[in-house]
Amino acid sequence: MQTKFGSASEPLIETSALTKRFGSVQALTELNLRVMPGEIYGLLGPNGAGKTTTIKTILGLSEPTSGWVKVCSFDPVKSPIEVKSRIGYVAENPIVYDSLSPRDFLEFVASIRKTDQAAVNGLVGQLASAFDMASYFDSPIATLSLGMKQKVALIASLIHQPPVLLLDEPLNGLDAKSSRIVKELVSFHAQKGGAVLFSTHIMQVAEQVCTRIGIIYQGRVIAEGTLEELRGKTEGGGGTLEEVFLKLTHEEDEVADTMRMLREAFFKNEAK
Amino acid sequence: MKPSEAWRLSRIPYREMVYRSLAEERGRMWWGAFGRNRPGKEAQDDLELTKRALRIAKFDKSVVAVFNVIVSLAPFASLFLGGSGFGLTSAISLSLAVTFGFTTLYAIQTLSSFMSPESSALLSTMPLERDDFSLITLFSFIRSFDYMVIGAIISQVALVAYLTASPTATLIMLLASAMNAVFAVAVALWFSRIFQRNMLRGGRSKANTALRLFFILMWGLLLVGVGFLFSLPWYIVPNLQSTLLGAGHVWSSLLGLLYPFTSGIIITGAVSSSVTFATILLACAAMVGYGLLAVFAGKWSLGTVRRVSQGAGVNVARVAARDFSVKTRGPLLGYVYKDLKAASRNPATAFFFALPVLETVIITLLDSNFGTLRTVLVLVGTSLGGVFALFLPLALLSAEGKGLEYTKTLPISPRRIVVPKALIATATYVPVPLALAVISLFKPLTSPAAILIPVLTTLAVASASVFEIKLFLRTAASGKIASVINDFEKLTVGMLIILVPEVAYAATFLATFNHAFSLSAMGGAALAELAVAFYVLRRS
Repeated sequence: MQTKFGSASEPLIETSALTKRFGSVQALTELNLRVMPGEIYGLLGPNGAGKTTTIKTILGLSEPTSGWVKVCSFDPVKSPIEVKSRIGYVAENPIVYDSLSPRDFLEFVASIRKTDQAAVNGLVGQLASAFDMASYFDSPIATLSLGMKQKVALIASLIHQPPVLLLDEPLNGLDAKSSRIVKELVSFHAQKGGAVLFSTHIMQVAEQVCTRIGIIYQGRVIAEGTLEELRGKTEGGGGTLEEVFLKLTHEEDEVADTMRMLREAFFKNEAK
Repeated sequence: MKPSEAWRLSRIPYREMVYRSLAEERGRMWWGAFGRNRPGKEAQDDLELTKRALRIAKFDKSVVAVFNVIVSLAPFASLFLGGSGFGLTSAISLSLAVTFGFTTLYAIQTLSSFMSPESSALLSTMPLERDDFSLITLFSFIRSFDYMVIGAIISQVALVAYLTASPTATLIMLLASAMNAVFAVAVALWFSRIFQRNMLRGGRSKANTALRLFFILMWGLLLVGVGFLFSLPWYIVPNLQSTLLGAGHVWSSLLGLLYPFTSGIIITGAVSSSVTFATILLACAAMVGYGLLAVFAGKWSLGTVRRVSQGAGVNVARVAARDFSVKTRGPLLGYVYKDLKAASRNPATAFFFALPVLETVIITLLDSNFGTLRTVLVLVGTSLGGVFALFLPLALLSAEGKGLEYTKTLPISPRRIVVPKALIATATYVPVPLALAVISLFKPLTSPAAILIPVLTTLAVASASVFEIKLFLRTAASGKIASVINDFEKLTVGMLIILVPEVAYAATFLATFNHAFSLSAMGGAALAELAVAFYVLRRS
């Protein structure tokens, strides 16, 4: 079966035994990942687990120490241009040109990506209206709030309608309405046959948005599947994603101990 | 709070302000290692880099202060060099004028960051009295120009005291220098406010573009003024002196009403009988007016600083976009537009676009002083212009800042980053061959072939720009982000590349005494450099 972006049976993102070391720091260890067309894959993990490193390696910004990555069958190390032209990326902290306005920035991105003007204008117009950007569209990005910068980055990631979206904490700083819009956009993208790698550490977001979730911990994917499948992997077999996550990462006891210590410290003076 | 304590605390917002200004100008500090970052190392590098950046800022501030002292003293040099006539009036007037210009333009660079309340955001969360907080902010504001203002005041006052041996004249000079500093800072603050307001408001108005062009032109004029610095003692001061005092016409007395001349006339009047009573009277009346204006400017500045410290520096309404249309271009043109916009909107990098004005003026003045356009003159003039053009790629790299992190995620080769900047830098050099071509219409050349020298130098400028940028990218790629602070290495390489074809010309001429051969050698060297630059680009 074919989708807009190619065969439905071929993964759009694939990593095999992906390992990344920064000096003595082991960021990723033998990471295996497959994101199929139409999938929204949630990469869930605590801070420093390796989510951003995974995304940067897939994008080709970071070279793997060993193992390999394929995006739409292209290797980001050997064919960086092909890979980057098939990806829409939103960074954890939106990186944009501060002195440019959103309009200038989008013009720059659209020019580099050689997109069709009419198609870009249609898409940008709709997205900018949806995100209520009229008052900010010609203001320097440096003067915008975090949420507004995130919206600019999101529009830029969609401007060329790529098959693959790499979204690193894309809801950072967004208000409820915009968050909802982004979740819907991600869903539309998957319905069209695109693949989304959605990194987050917020369980509720992963529960609401993702069709499959990979729990990454200390650079390894320790569990993978739908929410139901993940629940089945824990002893009790139930609970929220947060509870499942804490069980799988064996952090449940640690969190309980920490909370007990904090409670004692917090109420120490009052007890006296 | 004691003023000494407030002065000590003011170092925190001041350092933040300097750092922000530096971060804008030297945004490439955060470019990282092009995908080869090491988390621990990176953080350590950033810390070292921050310390180093602040050390450089302090050094820059000291150098600027020393330069300001030299600038303030230069007009007085005619009095020691035996320039025609007693030039005290014009020396004082010009000294005040140039220090005013230089202080203003330097302060604009720093105060643009000051206008943002973010510089004192941390302090504003502390349990400080409102007055104490205002005092700290005021001191942090003063720290940004203290060295240069104090240096200029001391040097001007000391020199007038030495030259006149008159306490009255010295006192008037002290008053005039202080007023001058107040005016300069107030104008800088006013201009920074406008710049910040326009930045915040955004919009696509022609007025914004005109403001940026005006700013760039102002920098160009200042640079030209600096170029004239060495002409001050010999030509300008004596001539102005005779205009001010020699003619005795009513209009020359009226010059005493104009700001920079007022103080000079009063001081000269206090120690010499060469000034008419009417002129002194008019100047004194004007001085009282300027004194009142200085009090007003000082109060306005303090009020503005206080408002900034309270987070009410600039209040503006944003201009709503009428449509969301986006104009797409080819990748190269898109990048050129982006580079031009990013660099021209930042006060710290915008002034580099003024360099072509300076290049052209210098070449024109240099050549117009001679009856015949000698080849050696053309060689010197064109290479000098080329050196100025080399600052532009570095300014464009500065303007990239953190944005390059985003560009790295786009389907773009490093070549695409280099070529637009090299093209812009080369384009700014084009006025030089054009100016020479125009001059050659009026003045004979020792060799007609000399007209091609700047054309060939244009090729060398293109090659030098490519190598400068490539050198930066290579340094960044190997992870040595700290080294990118220092532009000296890149400039040196760029200058050498520009000089090689010139040296080829000179050496061949010395060997053959034939301009055609020399030009061929120069062309060969310039083309060879360009070929290497293309090769390097193709490998990117």
